[in-house]
Amino acid sequence: MTVAVHKPHPHDSAPLHVSGKARYTDDIPAPAGTLHLAFGLSPAARGRIRRLDLAPVRAAEGVVAVLGADDLPRPVDLSPAHAGDEPLLATGTVHYLGQPLFLVVATSHLAARRAARLAGIDIAGEKPVLTIDDAIAAGTDLEPPLEWRKGDAEAAIAAAPHRVRGRIEVGGQEHFYLEGHAALALPLEDGGMEIHASTQHPTEIQHKVAEALGLPMSWVRVSVRRMGGGFGGKESQGSALAVACAIAAWKTGRPCRMRYDRDDDMIITGKRHEIRIDYEAGFDADGRLLGVRFAHFLRCGWSTDLSLPVADRAMLHADNAYHLPHVTIRSRRLRTNTQSNTAFRGFGGPQGMMGIERVIQHVAATLGKDPLEVRRVNLYRPMAAVAAGEAAQTTPYGQPVEDSIIDALVDRLAREARYAERRAAIARWNAGSPVIKRGIALTPVKFGISFTLTHLNQAGALVHLYQDGSIRINHGGTEMGQGLNMKVAQVAAEAFSVPVEAVRITTTDTARVPNTSATAASSGSDLNGMAVKAACETIRARLTRFLAERHQCPEEVVRFSEGRVHVGTNVLTLAEAARAAHEARISLSSTGFYATPKIHWDRTRGQGRPFFYFAYGAAVSEVAIDPLTGETRILRVDVLHDVGRSLNPAIDIGQIEGGFVQGAGWLTMEELAWDERGRLLTHAPSTYKIPVASDRPRIFNVALWDGENREPTIYRSKAVGEPPFMLAISVHQAIAEAVAAAAGVPFVALDAPATPERIALAVRNARAGENAP
Amino acid sequence: MVEISMTVNGKPVTAQVEPRTLLVTFLREHLGLTGTHVGCDTSQCGACNVHVNGMLAKSCTMLAVEADGAEIVTIEGMAAPDGTLGVIQQAFQDHHGLQCGFCTPGMVMSAAALLRENPDPSEEEIRAFLEGNLCRCTGYHNIVKAVRAAAEAMG
Amino acid sequence: MYAFEFVKPKTVEEAVAALREGEAKVLAGGQTLIPTLKQRLAAPEKLVSLAGVEGLRGIRTGDGVVEIGAGTTHAVIARELAGAVPALAALAGDIGDPAVRNRGTIGGSLANNDPSADWPAAVLGLGATVVTDRREIAADDFFQGLFTTALEEDEIITAVRFPMPKTAAYAKFDQPASRFALVGVFVARLDGNVRVAVTGASENGVFRWQAAEAALGADFAPAAVEALAPPPAEEMISDLHGAGDYRAHLVKVMTKRAVAACG
Repeated sequence: MTVAVHKPHPHDSAPLHVSGKARYTDDIPAPAGTLHLAFGLSPAARGRIRRLDLAPVRAAEGVVAVLGADDLPRPVDLSPAHAGDEPLLATGTVHYLGQPLFLVVATSHLAARRAARLAGIDIAGEKPVLTIDDAIAAGTDLEPPLEWRKGDAEAAIAAAPHRVRGRIEVGGQEHFYLEGHAALALPLEDGGMEIHASTQHPTEIQHKVAEALGLPMSWVRVSVRRMGGGFGGKESQGSALAVACAIAAWKTGRPCRMRYDRDDDMIITGKRHEIRIDYEAGFDADGRLLGVRFAHFLRCGWSTDLSLPVADRAMLHADNAYHLPHVTIRSRRLRTNTQSNTAFRGFGGPQGMMGIERVIQHVAATLGKDPLEVRRVNLYRPMAAVAAGEAAQTTPYGQPVEDSIIDALVDRLAREARYAERRAAIARWNAGSPVIKRGIALTPVKFGISFTLTHLNQAGALVHLYQDGSIRINHGGTEMGQGLNMKVAQVAAEAFSVPVEAVRITTTDTARVPNTSATAASSGSDLNGMAVKAACETIRARLTRFLAERHQCPEEVVRFSEGRVHVGTNVLTLAEAARAAHEARISLSSTGFYATPKIHWDRTRGQGRPFFYFAYGAAVSEVAIDPLTGETRILRVDVLHDVGRSLNPAIDIGQIEGGFVQGAGWLTMEELAWDERGRLLTHAPSTYKIPVASDRPRIFNVALWDGENREPTIYRSKAVGEPPFMLAISVHQAIAEAVAAAAGVPFVALDAPATPERIALAVRNARAGENAP
Repeated sequence: MVEISMTVNGKPVTAQVEPRTLLVTFLREHLGLTGTHVGCDTSQCGACNVHVNGMLAKSCTMLAVEADGAEIVTIEGMAAPDGTLGVIQQAFQDHHGLQCGFCTPGMVMSAAALLRENPDPSEEEIRAFLEGNLCRCTGYHNIVKAVRAAAEAMG
Repeated sequence: MYAFEFVKPKTVEEAVAALREGEAKVLAGGQTLIPTLKQRLAAPEKLVSLAGVEGLRGIRTGDGVVEIGAGTTHAVIARELAGAVPALAALAGDIGDPAVRNRGTIGGSLANNDPSADWPAAVLGLGATVVTDRREIAADDFFQGLFTTALEEDEIITAVRFPMPKTAAYAKFDQPASRFALVGVFVARLDGNVRVAVTGASENGVFRWQAAEAALGADFAPAAVEALAPPPAEEMISDLHGAGDYRAHLVKVMTKRAVAACG
């Protein structure tokens, strides 16, 4: 029996959220005299700065200082990849429309923003590289194309009885965290700097601020209480604000704060990578994939940022849940004069999966089969079969898949959602419906858990047990709504066998837990939970040793259970045990550390075991479309998802529901648009549509797979942040089925997002026989 | 500068503001009521929703001078004076109707407005009423559940 | 926002007088004007709020006419006309969202004449009369293109007078993000004639689709619209939310839906 884990505790900040007391970065009361910052932005996407006249900005009301690139104490490169291609302020040339050119420091947010518009800017414009086609033509690769091979795909395809080839284009996605980027810098008496920021990566902010000011990292302290959403958008892109605030605070000696208004946030920061995937597949009469080739083209934006690992992860998920005996994956990472695309839930994985799921749909249509049949014959060999001695099948990058439960999970979901019956019913319904058409699809997810940059898979924690039995914990993870703090508190409570209310979680702080990795890659609970557990166990072991000695008994009889410390027949409260230990001069504080075992990875060769384990899931989506207008409605969604032994089922189900809806938004309605000059046209929620309450599926059933992680993760749970996002691929596939039904053809190459206009056009084109490849 | 007076969460307030000051700016920066959030600038997201004379309004799309003489209720005014959460607030907590929490104050204010005019809304009606409240985390499922539960609890 | 002066007159006469001094703009519900000011797309020296003006709010029905005070909010219209003129109530109830409907007014929407706003379709579709502080303007004369109306600089709408239709309906295809009309079609059967007004679609703002009016005058059924060619795509708005030919196609689909909804 557990006391705290595996239970549906509500979010620890819920009472603060519902009463308006929860403070986000911009809500932190600032000392009197705090200054406010705004960036002046480039009005051109590409070119050389001929003249930058900041005099009118300096003269504007409320302006205290204006800094251009030359006014910085030293050159600042914000690149998380240390690529040297991301100056805080443009130096000589501009690379996208919206790039920060100069920094205004003023007495109010509005004064700074108003002044920022007053600069005289003259840019000798060049034709910007905006699209994937532009970038291919210009050859703007960030690095040479990366190619991973397993077997001989070309030969396998050539020898296969059937072949398909085609292309899918999948658009990007704005994060639209409800809280925009924000930071606050407080200069300290000794020249140090204290930063509050809305960031998933406080250590990187600390590092960048220290670098920008020429300080040791120990002189910079970064705290994050919470974010109003992150989704990857605050992994690297918050550095600009924090560093700007730190420099301005250092220059003026006054506290400085900055927030992006929504339009600035959308215009300045990067988004999910748009991708084009060209594919070719050879397969047998059952739909078994014999050889597959993928060519990925990613639109990376103006700087390197995290594009290389994002593009790698797209390649790493090119197989999704399917065994590909012969496969070649080639990837080009293309620099464009647009916002620098960055991490976003799934980190390239969703884009990679769209390729193989399209292949499956195409193969099924070619053979006249139910796509689910084709999926089933290609799923990785089950864990049970591997355990029984059959060889594990390997991924395209050589990692044996030893933990696959996807076949059983798909079977259970198909049964419980009555997939086969409903598919047959839909076919009948479509035959009799003159206009509205329906579609249904079941798609699986297999998502690799671990940072692919192996050294990031570590975490630290700091735990204090006070003499009254209360517990305070810190860890390196950041809270962005995902419930990490509650999960980690549950872990600590479990370690001491006390109610979760006895554990207090506090602000993430680089002064308490150093050298942290970003809270990203779904790894928050896995890594930080283990680190906290290690710290708690250290303290518990000290208590155990002390109590055993005091009571003259073996350590084995000291037990922490049901809220008490049992020493043989003596029963103490944790407070009594803690007080006694303190009086005996036993340390009640400890750090904890965790490094994920077993993983290693060579990204150039595309070989290794980048992932500690895989998380699985599947979804069945049913949609209806009106081919006349292209309107879509998601009628029903059934999800079965694997979170191992859930640390907190309520939080996990929330992640699944939220991830699914966000994924459905990406694939059906969220559309980014730029004009020919490179101006982002969708820079507000009045032009960029994200899901609202009425877009939610009419019927939405979410269930957790009953199992546990075969790897020794925190209480045998699995990571949950990203994997459910990709369950929404089922919606896109269901729409494509409905479009095909409307057009009376077996297959329609539907791109994403499948907006009403795109759907109406796809139906019209397919009816006219203008189907893609 | 013009002088404005209003009641905010039951307390009288008088202040000098520039006419162009938005109500949300007044609440957050002049009164320190930071529970009302700014999530967009184009009247879509609803994170800034407050009640003006008992009616739901977006405080980012209203001037503070327009609220002169009005009774304003913000999220900070939704709990009992002793801090006891209101029924809707409690329902959002109990039914996990929040994740990052940034949209929550606006959601609670919208839910309160809905339940005042329609004490027993269907799921469909709840979804329709929340058109002007964006949430990027939850997928709305638990938000709708929370509003339904609040309606039932208020009976 | 640029700085401005704020005045809150008590009568229409005072408001008109205030409008005559300097670069002034009327502030009604503010649901379009305030976002416009925030984006600095307008820079009035003075805002003349109508919130304190008596007699601009309320709905009167009788003698085959519905007269709606210009300061009446969408929410009130949606609630109070649900029985008398369901098409107007439904249109009002689908504007923006509840918070916007609580503040936005019919008069404000008409004076602004956004090419994607809903009210212009109803006013033109029903052949309503726009009543101002100094005259009455027929709908056919009122709308004069994108954000342009027959109103003089200092003229204030006080009411809108709609004839009671035999039957009417509004069919709207949302621009999904803003919830303005990507295409909205108002169809009305009045004594002896059919009117079809289209908003959201045209470069020139709301317009009457005369081919559809003629066809429906002869045979008031969706099939009558089916036979028509859609309005010319090149006259439609083409933007990131929809190309001209898609909008033209939607005009036809929404007209059919509106006719069908008329029952």
